[in-house]
Amino acid sequence: MRNVPSPDEATFGAISRNGETTPVPSYYERPMLKAPHWEWNVITYLFLGGIMGGLGLIQLVADSSRGDERMLKRTARVTSFILAAANPAILITHLGRPERFLNMLRIVKFKSPMSVGVWGLVFYTGAAGANMTRELAIIGILPRRLRFIAPGFMTPLQALLGAFTASYTGVLLSATANPFWGSGKRHIPAMSVCSGLASACALSSLLSVLEGNHTVVPKLERLEMVAGAAELAILADFQRSAGAYATPFFSGERGKKLRTYTIVAGTLAPLALNLLGAAVKLPKPVDAVRTTLASILTLTGGYILRESLIEAGKSSAKDPRAAFRQPE
Amino acid sequence: MATGFFTDTTLCIGCKACEVACKQWNELPSDGFEFTGNSYDNTSELSGTTWRHVAFIEQMTLEEDGLHDRWLMSSDVCKHCTNAGCLEACPTGAIIRNEFDSVFIQPDVCNGCGYCVVSCPFGVVDLIEKFDPQGHHYNLASLVTSRREEERTALAGHGGVAGKCTLCYDRQTLGFTPACAKACPTESIQFGNVEELRERARERVETLAGRGVSAQLYGADDVGGGIGPLNAFFLLTDRPEAYNLPAQPVLPSTRQRAGYTSAAIAVLGLAIAGWVIFRNA
Repeated sequence: MRNVPSPDEATFGAISRNGETTPVPSYYERPMLKAPHWEWNVITYLFLGGIMGGLGLIQLVADSSRGDERMLKRTARVTSFILAAANPAILITHLGRPERFLNMLRIVKFKSPMSVGVWGLVFYTGAAGANMTRELAIIGILPRRLRFIAPGFMTPLQALLGAFTASYTGVLLSATANPFWGSGKRHIPAMSVCSGLASACALSSLLSVLEGNHTVVPKLERLEMVAGAAELAILADFQRSAGAYATPFFSGERGKKLRTYTIVAGTLAPLALNLLGAAVKLPKPVDAVRTTLASILTLTGGYILRESLIEAGKSSAKDPRAAFRQPE
Repeated sequence: MATGFFTDTTLCIGCKACEVACKQWNELPSDGFEFTGNSYDNTSELSGTTWRHVAFIEQMTLEEDGLHDRWLMSSDVCKHCTNAGCLEACPTGAIIRNEFDSVFIQPDVCNGCGYCVVSCPFGVVDLIEKFDPQGHHYNLASLVTSRREEERTALAGHGGVAGKCTLCYDRQTLGFTPACAKACPTESIQFGNVEELRERARERVETLAGRGVSAQLYGADDVGGGIGPLNAFFLLTDRPEAYNLPAQPVLPSTRQRAGYTSAAIAVLGLAIAGWVIFRNA
């Protein structure tokens, strides 16, 4: 990928006169903005939010299959509910006290992605819980009469809410005063959706292999390839359009980690492995290992993508010149 | 009535009486001493526990007729924006606009999520660190609204909450001038009705121009980016960046629409792809 200028070369709002560029003054090079206080827990929250949303989409599109995808749907619904239930707990480790989560349920504020996002999470948990209950009632783990808890519209509803939970985590970052995140107002949300779905496909493939449901794996891997390719295209366009604002993300140690874990190991390698799986008929045990490896790589790449977004946001906040002249 | 601050930096003498008065009145703890070497500024920035910060800008330029030096001082504070990024971002409703049109954080509602911190275009709000077991009331911005001992105890020991200037809400309700403006010996910090202050500020710019001093107002009118005018605005004699103020700030919520739109396109594309893949495979 192309190298973007280092912060020293960046010319946020520099004044050019007679071919000479006067650098923008700063206050002793001190940051103007405050860096996010977000650590592993928020990164994990964003990562799992993406997977959870992606699983919502998977349990819907599986409906279009001419074959029987009951097992995939059941796995997706149970897993999505577990993730939805785990997410508030992870958020609470960040907030400090459980009741602090409830403070967010006092109001609905459409101007705050975090507010609408929390409500999206709450409703998603409800929809996923209803769909999971139906699945478990059908196979007899729960009382059979409970299968009526989730009427047919719950499937597209969970998908819709899932699409929202996978999207808002991106909007939550980009709709801030952070120059890097702001410069990605179009790319970060779309990237979050793609990465979330790719990770959801990877997790579903992995679980399907463990369950012995091998027939569905090629379909999941194909969808994973589409999502992964879209993610790469968005990343490339982001680097081109954001320019110096995205330097903390694409350059230096941080950029190296993104390239190694998210782009090469997390997207290109699983793409190659999945293409191999589609092209060559491998013996079953070998194929299972291939799927497992591809899935783990995709999931790692997805986590590192979120980590890179957060960490690059911290670096960006420390650059006063990027903050003085915000991207639009 | 909308009240606010007009900070006239040409009158500031860098005495830091505003910083001290703010800390004393609001019972804000020391942030520790760190020598920066940046002129006389060891406070460095506004924070959850520092709600006034005096910037010292020492400039020296060598020109044909000799060395020119200029020493700018400016007391920075929360801007109490017309459209406040922190207020819009707050998911709990802890950040409200009070009857004085100031942006106010209710510490007992704040859950410490930190979203306001990244949503302030001026880098003002910050989380107050966790409670210090040594007995310093580190997380107690609540003392601004409540000085009751039991409330101190109720909030003590828990994670941080967001803190910033309240425009001395408590003093205002009693009819008092905010602590910083009260303590300012040169009237560099003027408190009052925002409309009147703006009028006064414009006159001041003209007076200064008559004396050959070129000055500009920052935030008396719309600062752009959807933020609107600021209830706490400044008179500056250099570019805003020299004072660590943004020349082109943006209200974060204006970035939402683009985000949701592009995410929706991605969702639609992937859903169709998924549908086709599962149907045909």
